[in-house]
Amino acid sequence: MPATTFRIFRYQPDSNEPEPFHQDFDLDHEEKLTLLDAILRIQNEQDGTVAVRYSCRSAICGSCACKANGKTVLACMTQVEQVKAESGEDVVRIDPIGNFTPIKDLVVDMTPFWEKFKAVKPFLIPDGPAPEKERLVPKAAMEKIANESKCILCAACYSECNSLAADPEFVGPAAFAWGYRFAADERDSQRKNRAKLYSGEHGVWDCTRCMFCNERCPKGVDPRDAIEKLGSIAFQEKVTSDKGARHAKAFLISLRSGGKLNEILIAPYTDPIGAPFNAPLALRMAQKGKLPKSPLTHKVKDRDQVKKLIKNVKETI
Amino acid sequence: MREHDVIVVGAGLAGMRAAIAAHEAGVDVALVTKLHPVRSHSGAAQGGINAALGNETDDNTGNHTFDTVKGADYIGDQDAIEILCERAPHEIYQLEHWGAVFSRQEDSGKIAQRPFGGAGFPRTCYAADLTGLVILHTLYTVCVKYDIPTYEEWFVTDLVTDDDGNAVGVVAYDMIRGTIETIGAKAVVMATGGAGRVYRPSTNAHASTGDAMSLALRKGVPLKDMEFMQFHPTTLAANGVLVTEGARGEGGILLNKDGERFMTKYAPNKLELASRDVVSRAEATEIMEGRGVDGCVLLDLRHLGRERIMERLPQIRELAIAFAGTDPINEPIPIRPGAHYHMGGVHVDNWGASPHMPGLFAAGECSCVSVHGANRLGGNSLLEAVVFGARAGEASAAYVQEHGGKPNVPSNAAEETQQRIEDLLARENGPRQAEIRDELAAVMQEKVGVYRSGPVLEEAKRTVTELKERFQGVVVSDKGKTFNTDLIHTIETGYLLDLADCMVTGAIARTESRGAHSRTDFTERDDENWMKHTLAYADDGEIRLDYSEVTMTKYEPQVRTY
Repeated sequence: MPATTFRIFRYQPDSNEPEPFHQDFDLDHEEKLTLLDAILRIQNEQDGTVAVRYSCRSAICGSCACKANGKTVLACMTQVEQVKAESGEDVVRIDPIGNFTPIKDLVVDMTPFWEKFKAVKPFLIPDGPAPEKERLVPKAAMEKIANESKCILCAACYSECNSLAADPEFVGPAAFAWGYRFAADERDSQRKNRAKLYSGEHGVWDCTRCMFCNERCPKGVDPRDAIEKLGSIAFQEKVTSDKGARHAKAFLISLRSGGKLNEILIAPYTDPIGAPFNAPLALRMAQKGKLPKSPLTHKVKDRDQVKKLIKNVKETI
Repeated sequence: MREHDVIVVGAGLAGMRAAIAAHEAGVDVALVTKLHPVRSHSGAAQGGINAALGNETDDNTGNHTFDTVKGADYIGDQDAIEILCERAPHEIYQLEHWGAVFSRQEDSGKIAQRPFGGAGFPRTCYAADLTGLVILHTLYTVCVKYDIPTYEEWFVTDLVTDDDGNAVGVVAYDMIRGTIETIGAKAVVMATGGAGRVYRPSTNAHASTGDAMSLALRKGVPLKDMEFMQFHPTTLAANGVLVTEGARGEGGILLNKDGERFMTKYAPNKLELASRDVVSRAEATEIMEGRGVDGCVLLDLRHLGRERIMERLPQIRELAIAFAGTDPINEPIPIRPGAHYHMGGVHVDNWGASPHMPGLFAAGECSCVSVHGANRLGGNSLLEAVVFGARAGEASAAYVQEHGGKPNVPSNAAEETQQRIEDLLARENGPRQAEIRDELAAVMQEKVGVYRSGPVLEEAKRTVTELKERFQGVVVSDKGKTFNTDLIHTIETGYLLDLADCMVTGAIARTESRGAHSRTDFTERDDENWMKHTLAYADDGEIRLDYSEVTMTKYEPQVRTY
């Protein structure tokens, strides 16, 4: 029978000196034990003050996301022994999800998460009156948003998001997955308006593409892919004045013309007004050998190959 | 004091649908939920929602009504079942118009429908095996659009009545801010879901503790047909997690340890798609007679093939891998019957109104209209939640518009609760809620299960009574104000004890076998003496039973075979 030490993040706001700390709890347990059941056993057998949100214990209500040895998981569908094996550690450290403020122990203040969810207008806005029966939607069109419809709003992606760590106002992966779910819904009439709403500051182009949201989503929603698809929708709807969109476009132009990236031209195209102010930085970079010697970089030999690649990518979007 | 025209307690399918209906009717409605709305257990419903759309084959609401009446083992109210089935298509179209991502037919683009247990036609609309989640989310997005005020993580401790016995609000514990407050209202709609946590294992969430039923019972409102608890035929052995009936609807078969498709013996026509009570009893018999595999039978999906499993049952695969270590593409899933759905609940009429307390409404699993009678058909619970949620919302708004006036909310309601909780928190020595809850769940599982008998039920009753006494000295170890889950679990345990008592008491009295209530000492259905609803009242802590008539329209009771 395995024995495990659980090192749980504690924050008790009602105590005299509410300072966060970690507390160890030891459990002897069967080989199969989920992280949630471990926490509940600790609650019931050792310390009734340990606070955690949970409900369905079958990975659908989205309540119990937390960090196990640094990695965000749903506590209810994660086996303790698996955490130990994957992290190579005998102690299982349990922390609240990241990018949030703790309320008590593992319970965090989810307010910003719900506010951002609401900010993407997460509801269908159809055009014209509804028909008598259901709207007819091709199976394939409905399946296009099936992945995003699986999002359980557990905030595991939000917890892992590096853009949010840098910019707390960033809308975040889950809300954008929902944004895509509506923008790409055939029945919705607001594709262009949504593209505008999701661009701009803290919008889709501010994603750093670290891919952690895709990796850590417990339901396979792939929020980063949704963000990328929202980028495509922005282009299709000609919502391209955004700095982020211009940056993407600059990449494309550069690839098309020379078959490779031309950093010197990308910066001014992305931000024609701001770029001159960055000239001193560019100069320093050039002195340190961090920039190509000439803005007219040589062209790659097999440019047809590159064009083919661009065409392929376009077709898959 | 906070006040609204209507407050809806619980924000799952029934609660949110009620709030939306009340909002559309023009009254000020607010939701109060101990969770966040999207955490509600409606989201765990997998397989689908019934409506005779006739998209796959010719079907009509009459067929749906008949199947439901028969599934209920003739103790459902037939007028209510007609309402359920006739409004069903409208509600599905409404959900679709609000954006629900239903699975579609290949060619027509219409909503696809799959076969389900106890149904004569493929009538179950679905969104892969995430139907509850998709509908829960759809309703939540409408609540967001309408900006319906929502008290999230407010745990209701009391139903508040005025001097004339009208429902005029609730007292609730705001878990985040740590305060106890009264929310006044002209009407209260209860929609807190089921009480599956009376049992273990159970498919239900930890939060499914039947709160509304107990809150109403304690105020003198009777609970109806509490002895009827449905055991779902396919739950995972490790923790009781649900495997959708859709798995059998898509063609999954049940095997015993000899590889025999045993349902051929018990339901030669409908086989695995017989009604749930029939399939659960068949499994329990196979296991009891030694033809099980480690206390389970096997659900075999392998012949469906990878592609169909991935498209139609992706969540089932994920859960079977996570909790049973079994990939259904390669091997059968060990499953067994587990407590799943409670047919009983707060006694209400066809509009969800309590005949015993003006201003009180209830909808969804915490209520009993009754449309499910002694056994609910798969795909009818989500339907009941939206149909009768909508009707309760409409009726509560109409009630408010008719009765107007400022409610006479007792000013000391919150203080009384506060005092009670302070007294509870002051207690230092005694049992904790977890041990009482564990014992309760164990005795209910063992003695009030798929098969029941008089003497064993009496034993269960004694244990429940004893646990209720021990509960009087229960100790809460968390003394804090903020997010005190120990306190909430303790209060919930009190709710569970009330409800278990009603279940056992009703089961002892009902000396027949009907639907999910199957007695080894009274093996036949007894229409002469028991074609009636049980009403359970709490008189000074003792459960008193009364009975009421079943409404029949045109369906005469028949022998029930599948």
